[in-house]
Amino acid sequence: MSHPGPRDSGLQPERTLLAWQRTVIVFVAVALLYLRDPFEDPAAGGGVDPLYRLAAVLAVVAAVGVLIAHLRRRWRATAHGLHDDATGNPPAPVARPWALVLLSAATAALALVVAAGAVLA
Amino acid sequence: MAGRPTTEGAPDIADHTRHADGTDRADRAAGADSGGPPGSEPDYRFTLANERTFLAWIRTALALIAGAVAVLHLVPLDWHTGVRLAVGFSLTGLAVVITVYAPLRWIRVQKAMRRDQPLPMSALPVITAVGVALVCAAVLLGNYWS
Repeated sequence: MSHPGPRDSGLQPERTLLAWQRTVIVFVAVALLYLRDPFEDPAAGGGVDPLYRLAAVLAVVAAVGVLIAHLRRRWRATAHGLHDDATGNPPAPVARPWALVLLSAATAALALVVAAGAVLA
Repeated sequence: MAGRPTTEGAPDIADHTRHADGTDRADRAAGADSGGPPGSEPDYRFTLANERTFLAWIRTALALIAGAVAVLHLVPLDWHTGVRLAVGFSLTGLAVVITVYAPLRWIRVQKAMRRDQPLPMSALPVITAVGVALVCAAVLLGNYWS
């Protein structure tokens, strides 16, 4: 990507966007890990209902989809992190505060889903 | 929201007059982009560093959840059921504590930076370290007491 005009020499917005990206990737990876069937023979019983897992994972990953859409829109609207508005300063924070709260809530929900699944099994 | 013209950037660190200009902030659910008034907008690099720290905490929580998924769901362990559940619930509990604390910590740091105050201390690193140490001890116990 090449952009006109000056950019932050420390590449702070890019670093922050990359931090978001790897957080989202880890989130989806953990969700997929939970979606996977146990390593043991499923006929042995004990596993959590796959439909429960699918529904729960879809719910939390939907929240992450909202975050991805928000990050993409905001990144484009700020000229790839170059300037947030007429002042010409980079966007800070890269995502809106509600996105941070949403990510926290989705992560907490995933943790609770995993714990609840162990109780249900 | 992304294309809103009143979107607020972070002014230079020397600019302490920005919030007297009557920028419309009433429609922002969270008060402001970075902690809200009072005070002045901190250097955008500090705001971004704070955001990355928050994300690092979230990844820590996700790693703990991955461990809980392995113990509670994925890996067949011939551990004592109580130990297995204790390890799994400790990991998920720690993750929930971190996810509750991380945004609060973010907003506190942001407010302190706006007011040019020292950053608040956080008990979270100690909680996480002690919690993980206890989980390690429980894992050892689970391996030898099945």
